[in-house]
Amino acid sequence: MIKKSLFWLLTAFACSQAVAAETGVALKADQLRADTFSDAKVVGSVNKNDAVEILNKKGAWLQIKAAGKTGWVRLLTVKRNSAGGNNVAGVVGVATGRSGTGKVVSTTGIRGLSAEDLKTASFNEVETKKLESYTVNAEDAKQFASNGGLSSHQYPYFTGGAQ
Amino acid sequence: MNKTLTQAMALALCSSLAWGTASALDLKGVLKDAVNEQLGTTNKTEAAATTTPQSTPSAQDKLANINWKNPSREDEIAVGRNVTGTILGAAPLVNDAQLQQYVNKVGRWVASQSERADLPWHFGVIESTDVNAFAAPGGYVLITKGLYQRLSSEAQLAGVLGHEIAHVVQKHHLKVMQKQALLDAGTSFLKEKISKNKLTQRAVSTGAEISARNLDKSAEFEADSMGTVLAARAGYEAYGLAEVLQDMETINNNDGSVALLFQTHPHPDDRLAQLSQVSGDQMDNISGGKTLENRLYKLK
Repeated sequence: MIKKSLFWLLTAFACSQAVAAETGVALKADQLRADTFSDAKVVGSVNKNDAVEILNKKGAWLQIKAAGKTGWVRLLTVKRNSAGGNNVAGVVGVATGRSGTGKVVSTTGIRGLSAEDLKTASFNEVETKKLESYTVNAEDAKQFASNGGLSSHQYPYFTGGAQ
Repeated sequence: MNKTLTQAMALALCSSLAWGTASALDLKGVLKDAVNEQLGTTNKTEAAATTTPQSTPSAQDKLANINWKNPSREDEIAVGRNVTGTILGAAPLVNDAQLQQYVNKVGRWVASQSERADLPWHFGVIESTDVNAFAAPGGYVLITKGLYQRLSSEAQLAGVLGHEIAHVVQKHHLKVMQKQALLDAGTSFLKEKISKNKLTQRAVSTGAEISARNLDKSAEFEADSMGTVLAARAGYEAYGLAEVLQDMETINNNDGSVALLFQTHPHPDDRLAQLSQVSGDQMDNISGGKTLENRLYKLK
């Protein structure tokens, strides 16, 4: 029990450290907005390669501070500096209610899946038939989409060049 | 689209360079006929005679008769079914019919927005704490329970499935398996006569591993880019996949649940940066997408 509390205390400490240090760099020029929607008031801007501080996360939006101005940008605008995910959950991890390994530790008992497991596995006809029994046809999927208020759009694939 | 084509061609070119030895053998032309025979591109009658002559071919028969040089749609599905069944041999489906049906509805709707809407798409959640997802040729897609549990909206699920659907649309894994079969056919002839059946067995038995093995980095980036657009076409919030990638950034690199994923895919940081680069300002043209947090099926 004591060990467990100590673990959480240390975890919390590690997280708060990470939160304070969360920084990133702007991958592209963008406008900072007052709120998390695309027509929210513009409160500033960020240039490509600007160093930014990441303050908060909400859905696909990040609240950042750049050149003294604070506002929200889409998450693809900023690359986080804490690359590698080594023991820092950072703002993003905290905002999503996760701190590194917490989620995984709580679900022991079921095995993981390694390359070796896949190499040595043998075909399972029963499970394959079961999988196929759940198949949904295009018409039913369309109805399901429509029930959720989804409609299809003709967006082209992205044409930007790879790095 | 042109860009995508170019990328796919570059990928194919890189891969064929990697298999330079096999090409060299092929160029000599001496083995060409023998290899063709083994690949099922010639001598159909002989091949048919060696398999069971029943009117309805079993799954095994279909596998034994795959034309690796130019696989048909049916060939592709037979291969994908075998690969998928092998993954299911390592990790069975989560025993929750409602969950499986839900994932099939979302997946099928996203797949309907692709260029291969006609495939018989199958989706499943498998019993594993790992964070990963798999695609196999012909329209088979599996996602682990470990990844599913991290999702917080239907749009995120659509993004993940969109990535896997893109692999199938671009035949990324099928191409790797074809090369494997071609290489085996070329080299094994030097050592021994190998039956076509055995050749196929070898290509397919490595298939499950291939479905997890690293594709060319550009294939993963392409699947992120196409998967994002497929989910947006389906009416979902376009940032679903990006959100999932961002969430993956928060998992410790040394965490066992992402060991296989991080072995076989570029790091989420790089994937996000690449997605940002490729999408440019084109994400701004996509609006009104839905997240549908409340409709995401909750695991029992």
